[in-house]
Amino acid sequence: MAGLNSVLLDPAIGVGANLAAWTSAGGGEGLARALDRPQDIIPTLRAADLRGMGGAGFPTWRKWTAAAEMADGEKYVVCNGNEDEPGTFKDRYLLRRTPHQVIEGALIAAVAIRAGTVIFYINPRQAESIEAMRHAVAEWTDSGLLTEVERVVGRNVRLSVAPSSGRYIGGEESAVVRWLNGSFPFPRRKPPFPFEKGVNDRPTLINNTETLANVPHILKNGADWYRNLGIGGASGTKLFSLSGDVLEPGLYELPMGTGLQELIFTHGGGMLGGRAFKAVFTGGPSNTLLTARDLDVPLDFDSVRSRQSRLGTGAMIVISEGTSIVRKVAEYVEFFANGSCGQCPPCKCGTFQMARLLDRIATGRGTEADRRALGHLCLILPGSGRCALIDGAVTVVQSSLQTFPEEYATPGV
Amino acid sequence: MISAIAFEQAMASLVRDADPVLRPDPLSREELLEAYHPDAGPEARVSLRVGPNRGDPCHPALARVVEGDALIGDVDLAAIAPMSTDVLVVGGGGAGAAAALSARAAGAEVVVAAKLRIGDSNTVMAEGGIQAAVGEDDSLQRHFDDTMRGGHHAADPALVARLAGDGPDVVRWLIGLGVDFDLAEGAAPGARLMRKRAGGTTAARILSHRDFTGLEIMRVLREAVELDRGVTVLNRSPAIELLSDEYGRCAGAVLYDLEHRVFKLVRAGAVILATGGAGRLHLTGFATSNHYGATADGLALAYRIGARLREVDSFQYHPTGVAHPPHLAGGLISEAVRSVGARLINGLGERFIDELAPRDVVTAAILRECAQGRGVGRDGSVGVFLDTPGLLKERPQLLDKQLVSLKHLAHRCGVDPCVDPLLVYPTLHYQNGGVAIDGNGATSVEGLYCAGEVAGGVHGRNRLMGNALLDIFVFGRRAGAAAAGQAGTPLAHGRIGLGHVQRWRRELTRAGVTGGSLSPVLYPAYGNFELRSHMAAGGKG
Repeated sequence: MAGLNSVLLDPAIGVGANLAAWTSAGGGEGLARALDRPQDIIPTLRAADLRGMGGAGFPTWRKWTAAAEMADGEKYVVCNGNEDEPGTFKDRYLLRRTPHQVIEGALIAAVAIRAGTVIFYINPRQAESIEAMRHAVAEWTDSGLLTEVERVVGRNVRLSVAPSSGRYIGGEESAVVRWLNGSFPFPRRKPPFPFEKGVNDRPTLINNTETLANVPHILKNGADWYRNLGIGGASGTKLFSLSGDVLEPGLYELPMGTGLQELIFTHGGGMLGGRAFKAVFTGGPSNTLLTARDLDVPLDFDSVRSRQSRLGTGAMIVISEGTSIVRKVAEYVEFFANGSCGQCPPCKCGTFQMARLLDRIATGRGTEADRRALGHLCLILPGSGRCALIDGAVTVVQSSLQTFPEEYATPGV
Repeated sequence: MISAIAFEQAMASLVRDADPVLRPDPLSREELLEAYHPDAGPEARVSLRVGPNRGDPCHPALARVVEGDALIGDVDLAAIAPMSTDVLVVGGGGAGAAAALSARAAGAEVVVAAKLRIGDSNTVMAEGGIQAAVGEDDSLQRHFDDTMRGGHHAADPALVARLAGDGPDVVRWLIGLGVDFDLAEGAAPGARLMRKRAGGTTAARILSHRDFTGLEIMRVLREAVELDRGVTVLNRSPAIELLSDEYGRCAGAVLYDLEHRVFKLVRAGAVILATGGAGRLHLTGFATSNHYGATADGLALAYRIGARLREVDSFQYHPTGVAHPPHLAGGLISEAVRSVGARLINGLGERFIDELAPRDVVTAAILRECAQGRGVGRDGSVGVFLDTPGLLKERPQLLDKQLVSLKHLAHRCGVDPCVDPLLVYPTLHYQNGGVAIDGNGATSVEGLYCAGEVAGGVHGRNRLMGNALLDIFVFGRRAGAAAAGQAGTPLAHGRIGLGHVQRWRRELTRAGVTGGSLSPVLYPAYGNFELRSHMAAGGKG
């Protein structure tokens, strides 16, 4: 049984855009260590086993190494704060309440890969986050603290805030690059990866906001300290966006590897109205559902993957008995259909057709043929898009079809 | 058992030949109210524990309803195809009909959902009439002043200004639709509306159709609504929950189709609650003059989605409800009877109160007589006399021309009003407070409007005779027009559902409110209606 972690959400550092308050709360030490021994940054992250918190769980050190190994010249660091999935609300909190934590992490990344431009890419619907970040960036620029960073990087360092397109698809890495290059945020095939050919065709390192927020703490306190924050084989601390049919929804910082049961019943106050637990949409609505069988799963990237699901962004949308799975799935697939950029026909038409079929079933007008058609779409659509949007939509439909077939049953047909 | 003077003895004390002298009163009106009105005293209110009015006083029985849990959950919405409209009006009384007609006039498509049938409401039971400052000796300002004073200055002046200000126009609108108001005697046809004086007013301002004004108005409005092709009327379809969108705005309602025993979803650009009051909750054990459907459904629905309430600890007890025979207890004897001159007499033959004082004062005075043993007892019922023989001896023609309902009621009571006085006792009549609204009926929740008795702030802590009929048309029409305007602006009602119910359940759990009461209650307790068993009974079709 573990309590809450207090690193990223430490109330002492939730000072908003106030550089002096951030420094006096212990901020800046991670960056100072990084500037002392830049060659140790990536090995430290590797030893700490920091993963990408935007959903992939990809080892952060690999991404940084790839960008660092590109030939010197103009390079970019992009902090991805597009956050637009249903049920995820962690990055907006970090940007608004701890902008300097995020900026310091991004500057350490700039030092590690010797980048001269750091861009904070933020969803325009989160006006408060943009406001806080603009203010915080201005504080850094005016403070002269950047001089030391520039000396180590060996070029001028510029920080800027760029509102994203506000589209769900705009959070995908290649779409981020497209948008920052001035085009509609269409994802594209990879390779080339952004670390090879990103903003202005230059090497670009793109990290999720929460990932970067972890970096100053790791540099300041060491890899061992960070590993010990986690439980079992998992390393570090994780923000969980808990929502749905729980008594106390909200943002919780817990050790990586905390049990699902504990998140819901200890921290989330249990199920609303004492109803039975039914399922969780993990990592937002694009993954395989976890059910009552999985309540014992430790919430870390590898353990959740071993149950054929994904931890994703750490969003946990909890469903109780008495909430219709099909209605929820219909809602989410409609979100994907609206979010599809439309450049890949299977995704454009597939999400639309799935949303149409789900709406018919959820509103009692579905037939057995509709249910079969939905099942067939799940077989032919995966892997047919340039990005993973269509795969996410299929995963949630397929998973709910397998786990709750009775809810799809259409009486009288 | 409180002692009372036996009926025969009281009859003997009733003086027949002279107008009785008003007994001097040692108490001021305020002291009388404080000591005897049902709203006063420690049992009359509790503090609400949840919701936007947490900490505010509320009648305990009403608190159980507004703090109740929802009847349905998300799973009940599964497999239902929603219907869509611009404006959904919940309630088929005068306020609902006026709202529907004015929303139509503003170009909106309208659905009216009625728990019983359209017109089947308290409106048809309004006997006395409607106030509107149309006389040359009257003014909007006087109407405003009377209403504010009558409501003990607790009303919202902005609402009262609209009430008084719209009065003449509402009357013109009603006449235009076909309402046949009584004309002054001796005047040329169409020349002068007959005006009567109401208790607590400074001018003759009551317009009436005999003594069934509300029935006459509802006759006209029901025809207008039913003949309008842009209005879909869903009878026997109570609203059991509102729907909200992801931003907490009101986006429709869940209805229960009593006939087919299924839920219906109605998506709407705006919802107008016109569900009336709470009389059938029988607060503090009082009989009620109210219609069968008056169970505070709208208050519960509005409060749960986050609308603020006001003065929900204040109710009007009509002074002259039937006390005997017991099976008609609570039935109303119109204030018109007193406004044309009938006296209230206690068991000693004393006239103890000015009959045209505000209703709360007359009520408290009657309750004092009964509490102090000066009431009249008959077959276990207690009350005071409403001296109709004294009145009709002078003007027997009143019974056929103006007091038709009284004649019917007396017949049902088995008495001849020209010979026997009626035994009366206060009856729960009107909910003074309700959902807080602005001048257009808008609540604190976007997309949700209220009109009529469900809304609060128009009458303060006491309502004048004739202002209820005016209220429902003034604010019904305003809410209808405003809702139609809002429904015209495209709102991104993406996902609609019961998000507000989820928030509400969290709040109930945190506050430890686990009484287990469910609302809306839909029917009085003696109606023995239980939603789930009703649905289950329909399973066989």
